[in-house]
Amino acid sequence: MQMDARTTTSTMKACGVTRSFGSGDTKIYAIRNVSLELHPGQIALLMGPSGSGKSTLLAVLSGLLHPDSGNVLAHDQDLWAMTERQREAFRLQHFGFIFQGYNLFAALTAREQMEMILRWGNGASAKEAREKTDDMLGMLGLTNRAHLRPLQMSGGEKQRVAIGRALIKQPGFVFADEPTSALDWKHGQHVIELLRAAAHDQGSTILVVAHDSRIVPFVDRVLQLEDGILFEGSEKPVEMFGDNPVQTSF
Amino acid sequence: MSYALSTLWYERQRYLPAVLAVAFSCLLIAMQCGLLIGLFSITSIPIDESSADIWVGHPDVPSVDLGIPIPEGWQSYLALPEVERSEPYMEGFAYWKKSSGGMELVLVIGTRLGPDSIGAIKQLTPELRTRLSEPNAVVVDEGEFGRLGLKKVGDTAEILGKRVRVVGTVRGLRSLAGPYLFCSLDTARNVLRPPPGQCTFILAKCHNKEDAPKVVEKLKVYNKKLLPFTTEEFSMHSQLHWLFKTKAGIALGLAAALGLLVGAVVTSTTLHSATSASLKEYAVLRALGIPRWRMSMMVVSQSFWVGIGGIAAAMPVIYGIAYAGDLIGAKVLLPPWLLLGACVVTMTMAMLSGLMALRSLRMVEPVTLLR
Repeated sequence: MQMDARTTTSTMKACGVTRSFGSGDTKIYAIRNVSLELHPGQIALLMGPSGSGKSTLLAVLSGLLHPDSGNVLAHDQDLWAMTERQREAFRLQHFGFIFQGYNLFAALTAREQMEMILRWGNGASAKEAREKTDDMLGMLGLTNRAHLRPLQMSGGEKQRVAIGRALIKQPGFVFADEPTSALDWKHGQHVIELLRAAAHDQGSTILVVAHDSRIVPFVDRVLQLEDGILFEGSEKPVEMFGDNPVQTSF
Repeated sequence: MSYALSTLWYERQRYLPAVLAVAFSCLLIAMQCGLLIGLFSITSIPIDESSADIWVGHPDVPSVDLGIPIPEGWQSYLALPEVERSEPYMEGFAYWKKSSGGMELVLVIGTRLGPDSIGAIKQLTPELRTRLSEPNAVVVDEGEFGRLGLKKVGDTAEILGKRVRVVGTVRGLRSLAGPYLFCSLDTARNVLRPPPGQCTFILAKCHNKEDAPKVVEKLKVYNKKLLPFTTEEFSMHSQLHWLFKTKAGIALGLAAALGLLVGAVVTSTTLHSATSASLKEYAVLRALGIPRWRMSMMVVSQSFWVGIGGIAAAMPVIYGIAYAGDLIGAKVLLPPWLLLGACVVTMTMAMLSGLMALRSLRMVEPVTLLR
């Protein structure tokens, strides 16, 4: 499915989202009154220093962490007005995740890690799961590595399997937390290109949380979070972030 | 291959303790029961080795070796069309005074000795039966010689002041309590001295063995007066009496329960730790919206395969130990129902362990993956 990367149809909208931890004197606000829109076919990068609330925002937007206040609309449905079961079903249908660690089952092959999602999540037949997995393995350049278990794969290969696991069910939204942090730049670049292709070719809405400023040229949009407050950069910022992060102009 | 089985095979080192624990439980249950059945089958030897189809005793008779005197005239109750013939059976405990000094409790069993005798054990050859027709002649198991203070066939001893002589031996008929003394009805009466006209059981043979249950049904109208059994029923009745009387059943239950407990704890702990080690992977699945029951099924499937693996490992060992036991004289009976029962109990234990290990899945929380 080819989508216009610059489409303006909003598929995810967060309004006034706040999330704190602790209580009383020890209460800390991880994110404050954050509002944003994410668009289909775009890959957005959320940056910010450690402890700025990036992961908390990602967790709230992806339906994994309940906000104190505010709402998150995905496909015009309020994630946090749903029951736990409804949210789980929504995640199953629409969300894909890539986490910092690879978190692959040690006993399963690259192929099984992906097939499992289709068979357990979508109730796909063995044949259907196999065919779709073959396509995904091909797209990831892992056809010859399909039979390998995590211990036999390089870090880059493992992360590609993790990406395949996130994309195999063709989700509308993909959330990636530091997907390149454990990789050298060559493999990191490959990973971000895969995500970019998923956004541009499949029309997925992709939000990447990362520290690595080398990713910036590959994304459509940069969001900056500092002390829980979101600043939105201009689309396609040209400034690189150095040791002292610079907020891009609005 | 299922994901559960793939995981089990790939991480077999991790799951080995659980498989061994299940195998241990299965082995313990099968061997305990097999030994016990083997042991208590000894108590019904006089029944199992006779040619009788029907046994009739006193209503309170607990076991074949604890017979209560009944009138020989009760044979008239067995004058039924299905019954070919009947005969009295004399049995009772007595003290055997060794010629070298010392006493030993023995079980005297007196039967008719003719070729068509119903009560005589099958091991009594025509030659032995001829010798037993002499007054106060007895036959014992050759393995009981030491216990009875005997050195050879022809040796004598005293029972209640009557001198008895060993005229031959049989094999494989050692008893649990006092040694069996096989003899004629007259010899038994002579040494046991029952009231006149009394015996211990009435035995009958049917024209067709299949008619035995029907005859027993007919005799049940006299239930308050006498107790009728088919041979199989009486054999079981005698074995169960000793099983419960000796509290061996309780000991068996406790030992088996202990084995199961050890198996359950090890299996559950192994599955729990294996699941805990994959919490992050399960958390990814949860984030992706995979329902929790899918993961629960994975753990339960693993417990199923651990159970199958354990039983498969236990079976050859069970047969090996039973064979070895047989060689040293410990009778281990392993009927199919016993093995099936041990497998069912062990599998249930393994599956329950899987269910107990499910609590580890409660710790799966996808948000912890976001650091």
